[in-house]
Amino acid sequence: MNLSESKDFLVSTGSLKEVRTFSREVFEKINLPQEQKDELVLAIAEAAQNIVKHGYKDVEETNDRMEIKISLKESELEIGFFDKGKAVVPGNVQHRKLDDIKPGGLGTFFIKQIMDAAVFKKDQKGWVNHLVLTKKI
Amino acid sequence: MTYKVTEEGNISTVFLNGEIDMDVTEKAKEVILPIVESGKEVHLNLKDVSYMDSSGISVLIESHQKALENNTKVIVKEVSKSVLKVIMMAKLEQILNLE
Repeated sequence: MNLSESKDFLVSTGSLKEVRTFSREVFEKINLPQEQKDELVLAIAEAAQNIVKHGYKDVEETNDRMEIKISLKESELEIGFFDKGKAVVPGNVQHRKLDDIKPGGLGTFFIKQIMDAAVFKKDQKGWVNHLVLTKKI
Repeated sequence: MTYKVTEEGNISTVFLNGEIDMDVTEKAKEVILPIVESGKEVHLNLKDVSYMDSSGISVLIESHQKALENNTKVIVKEVSKSVLKVIMMAKLEQILNLE
């Protein structure tokens, strides 16, 4: 099955619910166990949250939008995130150590647990960051 | 997210309802942390929480740690299957008081 759907969202914590709704609607069209769909929705929501939280850190309000593109080609799922926030230095994207129990720092860990790969691409035409998450399903 | 708080003796039970993400964590903390800081034992009932992300997990950790500082405890009760999975992914099932 091949599929490709994208949608843009205002960069805001208030958009995270819309991001999940969009993701759930797309995954409804794919034959996957519900548990795996829930995990993928979590990974997408965490990546979108990272854009809001880190890409727009210290920005109180913005009219900028972010775009999420979910594509499935054969059994390769690819999820792209485009944003115009602060440029990400990939080497600085790290989760906290799990035994260092404190609030925060788990979103990136969840993404890495759920997905096969998370890569920042250099082909961000008109955007600042282009994150690609992939998973064989 | 909506919530309800009931009290019985020194125990306050906070029933959270809906989806807990970054958009509602401040609201959740405003409900839970003052009760913890008052020294009461808090039971967090999550049976009607259908989704929780890393922000929600942070609320659970902060509540737990604040309780330790105040010589009381937060017990997380009736965790839904989907939320339990996220707690386990964060390897917190042995850290938080789950019932």
